[in-house]
Amino acid sequence: MIKYNSISKLHDAINSNKVNARNLFNDSVEMAKKYQDEYNSFVTILGDNYCDSDKDTLLNGIPYALKDNVSTKGILTTASSNILADYVPIYNATVYEKLLKSGAQLVGKTVMDELAMGGTGTTGHTGIVRNPLDKSRMIGGSSSGSAAAVALGIVPFAIGSDTGDSIRKPAAYSGVVGYKPTYGRVSRYGIIPFASSLDHVGVLARNVEDVAIVMDIIKGHDDKDLTSLKDENINYVDVVNDAIAGRKLFYIKEMLEIKTDNENINKVIEMFKENILKFKKMGFEVVPESIDKDLLLSVGPCYTVISSAEATSNHANLTGILFGLKSNKDNIQDMMMETRTKGFSFLIKRRFVLGSYVLQRDNQEKLFRNACRIRRLLVDKLSDLFKVYDGLILPTSFNIAPKFSDKIDTANDEYLMLENHLDLANFGGFPSISIPMGYIDKMPIGLSITGRVREDYLLLNMASKIEKELGLGDMDV
Amino acid sequence: MDIKDLKKYANKLMFDMTDDEYLLLKDEFDVILSQMDKISKIKDIKDIEPMSYPFENDYELRSDVEEDVIDIKDALANARLVVDNQVSVPKVVSE
Repeated sequence: MIKYNSISKLHDAINSNKVNARNLFNDSVEMAKKYQDEYNSFVTILGDNYCDSDKDTLLNGIPYALKDNVSTKGILTTASSNILADYVPIYNATVYEKLLKSGAQLVGKTVMDELAMGGTGTTGHTGIVRNPLDKSRMIGGSSSGSAAAVALGIVPFAIGSDTGDSIRKPAAYSGVVGYKPTYGRVSRYGIIPFASSLDHVGVLARNVEDVAIVMDIIKGHDDKDLTSLKDENINYVDVVNDAIAGRKLFYIKEMLEIKTDNENINKVIEMFKENILKFKKMGFEVVPESIDKDLLLSVGPCYTVISSAEATSNHANLTGILFGLKSNKDNIQDMMMETRTKGFSFLIKRRFVLGSYVLQRDNQEKLFRNACRIRRLLVDKLSDLFKVYDGLILPTSFNIAPKFSDKIDTANDEYLMLENHLDLANFGGFPSISIPMGYIDKMPIGLSITGRVREDYLLLNMASKIEKELGLGDMDV
Repeated sequence: MDIKDLKKYANKLMFDMTDDEYLLLKDEFDVILSQMDKISKIKDIKDIEPMSYPFENDYELRSDVEEDVIDIKDALANARLVVDNQVSVPKVVSE
């Protein structure tokens, strides 16, 4: 019953006694174990975690998974890093607390790129995560295991976090829906951070309506998170199917006009253009808009600078003294040195060194503050466009999921232009979603839709209507 | 950027890397610094106010009232060594 069923269907089945919630949970656990060796979705599978519950919510009895950077009291929380390999939190993240209260049933904690830094699913301390559609391909990251668990049908939804594209890209690469809400819409209390001005908590699910169901449970103001938004008096599920005629969308024409020999990129652009015609038939107005090419090329480097600077500061507390990997050296200096040298992989260390370098007094103006200036230029430009338009649409990625053996040059102009645009939603805190829009060589391609800050309900509404038109929600892997 | 400088920055951050990793990092630094150099030439960039948070919001500090209190036993549960309800570390000041 669990496999490939939506939250709504599972909820109805539980409520009409066609399915027993405990059996549903056990099915989910069995599937998690069955696929673990092959795909490595989980750091921890919680086979004994079922709790009887009779909560009057749409999530009561529904199995789900949490990314392993969500603090869970008494349950191992590693952020897929050796430095936290034995860390057991003493408190719950707010998002987990809300899900506990809803009666949803936690099946396991999912593998991620180490400390959420990375987009490949290859850097977690318990091994690589494989793409359920093709095991020779990456699933992307950093919410890699959450995407795999949903794509495999182990759980109907999973919680992820997104600092640049960490929910949306793995969702696109695995044919599921990935949603990053407005900055502050979901509390980040208890989430092991990456970069505080860019971090968001969000949802991976099999269709947009399920995302709305989960968001109605996990959103809301939290006194424990200073950046948390005030409550809004709206249920996303109630408006997710509202009419969208007359809504205006734009896309960035510089990206669609790129000249390349890469066959897949050209196929994605063609697919996107064909879909625009469908959106117009649905009643959307779709218009190309221009953004300065130099600004577009600077998105990736500026993201790297800002996120690395914030990360190096956030993780200064990982010393092994109060928690984390222990050292038996005989002085504090050597203890910290050993803990951090053994605890962090090269991926993390290089970001920390860069982050520290750009914050040095002599470099701060030219590197860190210039990156923050570009951030403002880009966000102001998008905010101006959102005064006219309801959403920005683009392919989530301009290619299918890479193979593990692929060598990817992330510094050339083509990559910089096409594969970093999801960061824009993190720069400005705009809500942003990826839904499936087609297939190339049997691998899924995502459509990214980004909307105005605070108008998550409208973004989910537009995404749900498009999803129904394209008929690609609830796909079986 | 030379490897000696990179090692200095890494050690300040309380970790070390292998020689090969420093070489790789040097290459990455060269790329990102060249990209940022181009960005610094964007017209009138100096006149723009740097952005540190996504958007303005009415952030409010919560009332300064005691709420959840962590039990001492819990607070020390993950520490390396605990003596008399305190985290124990090797002596910092020599005799």
